[in-house]
Amino acid sequence: MNTTSPPADSVLHKVDQAYHSLEKTLNYVAAAFLFSLMLLACAEVVARKLFNSPIHGQADLVEISIPTMGFFGLAYCQRMAGHVRMEIVINTLKGRAYWLFEFVSNFATIIICGLMIYGSYFHFLRAYEIGDSTMDVELPIWPPKLIIVIGFCILMGRLIISFFGYIQMLRNPDGPVYAVPQKHDIEDVVEAEAEAARNAISDEDVEEELERESRTGARNHEERR
Amino acid sequence: MLVEPITLGITGVVILAILVVIGMHVAYAGALVGLLGLVMAIGVTRVIPGEGTWVDAFIAGFNPGIGIAGTIPFEELAHYSLSVLPMFILIGYMAFHARLTQGAFYCMRMWFGGVTGGLAVATVFATAAFAAVSGASTATAAVFSRIAIPEMLRYGYKPGFAAGVVAAGGTLASLIPPSGILVIYAIIVEESVGRLLLAGFIPGILSAIIYAFSIWLRVKLKPELAGPSVNADWGTKFRSLGQMWGIIAVVAIIMGGIYTGWMTPTESGAVGAFVIFCLALAHGMTWKQFAHGLTESARTAVMIITIIWGILILVRFLGFSQLPAEIEGLVMGLEMNRYWILLIILLMYAILGMFMDAIGMLLLTLPLVQPIIISLGFDPVWFGIIVVKMVEICLITPPIGLNCFVVAGVRPDIPLLDIFKGIWWFFICDILTIALFVAFPGIVLWLPNQMFN
Repeated sequence: MNTTSPPADSVLHKVDQAYHSLEKTLNYVAAAFLFSLMLLACAEVVARKLFNSPIHGQADLVEISIPTMGFFGLAYCQRMAGHVRMEIVINTLKGRAYWLFEFVSNFATIIICGLMIYGSYFHFLRAYEIGDSTMDVELPIWPPKLIIVIGFCILMGRLIISFFGYIQMLRNPDGPVYAVPQKHDIEDVVEAEAEAARNAISDEDVEEELERESRTGARNHEERR
Repeated sequence: MLVEPITLGITGVVILAILVVIGMHVAYAGALVGLLGLVMAIGVTRVIPGEGTWVDAFIAGFNPGIGIAGTIPFEELAHYSLSVLPMFILIGYMAFHARLTQGAFYCMRMWFGGVTGGLAVATVFATAAFAAVSGASTATAAVFSRIAIPEMLRYGYKPGFAAGVVAAGGTLASLIPPSGILVIYAIIVEESVGRLLLAGFIPGILSAIIYAFSIWLRVKLKPELAGPSVNADWGTKFRSLGQMWGIIAVVAIIMGGIYTGWMTPTESGAVGAFVIFCLALAHGMTWKQFAHGLTESARTAVMIITIIWGILILVRFLGFSQLPAEIEGLVMGLEMNRYWILLIILLMYAILGMFMDAIGMLLLTLPLVQPIIISLGFDPVWFGIIVVKMVEICLITPPIGLNCFVVAGVRPDIPLLDIFKGIWWFFICDILTIALFVAFPGIVLWLPNQMFN
């Protein structure tokens, strides 16, 4: 596969990059939500156990925040090729055949995304019109339902960019790869894990660990076979 | 009727298999088949028999079918029990930076360094300890490749053997709580998350003990595999526990919190994540590492949440089609011994595991397999543990054997073939462990049943 950079004047590449910044930002929002959820749950434990006064409505808040977490990062996950899939068959394909399969998958995803936008919009609309609310503290339930619709719409934007990206790859299967989610080989997964481990435990850490062992070893260990 | 629901169900499953094989994301393939299946299943009941066509059925079922599917992402996700998942994911990513790996390995080396094959035994128990803060098998194998393999090689352990120990030890993370895969299983089969998490604890520890015993036996039989054993005095042993307090605290919080019912699983996970977060800060986690860990957690959470709602749309359709009930009836009609049927199901997982990732494999099969397991009279919590054990086996066996690849990725100097050669003892251990759980379900069910009595 060619790894040269995309043509500088490619509109598609620019759109892809700009859209990716939006996706990244939304994923940060989801991440912030996740961290706040952790803090909220900790605060609830402290308030309930230490001060015997549970935080009013925290369970409701936790419940309606899950869709938010799941949908703000939806397009980002798509672009980063983060979803579970079976790659063993398509990874044996090369060139145009490979891109054709990706194009078909992407097209099928466009269909389901469109249908889900339609379905989840009506679900939101009902909640909004009736003024439905949560069980305990009666938080309005339509905002998280709206977030699901928005999440699907942003995903749709990404899928459409990929649609043109795959057409571009079908036209020029050996050219630079851009505006489509990265391909993941088992090598990529392995390299990502190895990289993360190297990032977490530096070479100095390994050295330090070996040294600590020799120090304590000299003091305390009796060797026996 | 234009077509029997069961025919729709079978067609749907075939189309789903094709979509998954050509590489469509499992979540979206499940949702697409589920949604269109719902449309048709409702549509065929609404057209007049003998008059309506397929198109009429599609039009008649369109709005109600999509209406049902459209409610699922919110209605199935906005459950308190699901909120434990992001917490567990967060613990796993933060644990990377809290120096827990080194602490666990040091401590276990002090305690078990004296036995035959001591460093390898210590590695297995250290991975088990680290599994208590991590739910990801491949990540556990990767970090221990950094820490434990250099140490073992220095003491003259054979590279293939050392690498095999790390690859196998890494699999323990799927079983010992916090385990993401057990939570996903609980949600799909509608079991208590707390019960499943507790159920994984003893089998996880037992797996580690069986691994350790096999190492001991192997080194006894073939001493040149390992280096000399080194023993530490009791003072050092107890002082080394200080290196483990982060892990001990998290185990106490998660297991204690769930077991006593003081905290919900979500709260236990959140407090555990907070402790690990503070530890990581104390060990100099940078802002960049923190932001990266958090965004990765968010992305993993999205991946899991998406596949859950996608598959639940499929499950709703399969329910309409009555395919699960039909298959269940078919299997029950065989009048085979239930253990033979279980064996066939487990073999099916062994084969599927060669081609698919664990989450995808479980979510695609459970809607059909689960009813069979229930009507055979097996406990669904117990089956969850057995299935996760199968997933672990797939992580160390060819052709995928992801853990072995990961170890080879961190240590390119150790040939992959040597690692796979070093692993087959652990494969036998896993088979034995599963046989043990089948023969004595009490091993799995004792702890969760204690909680409810």
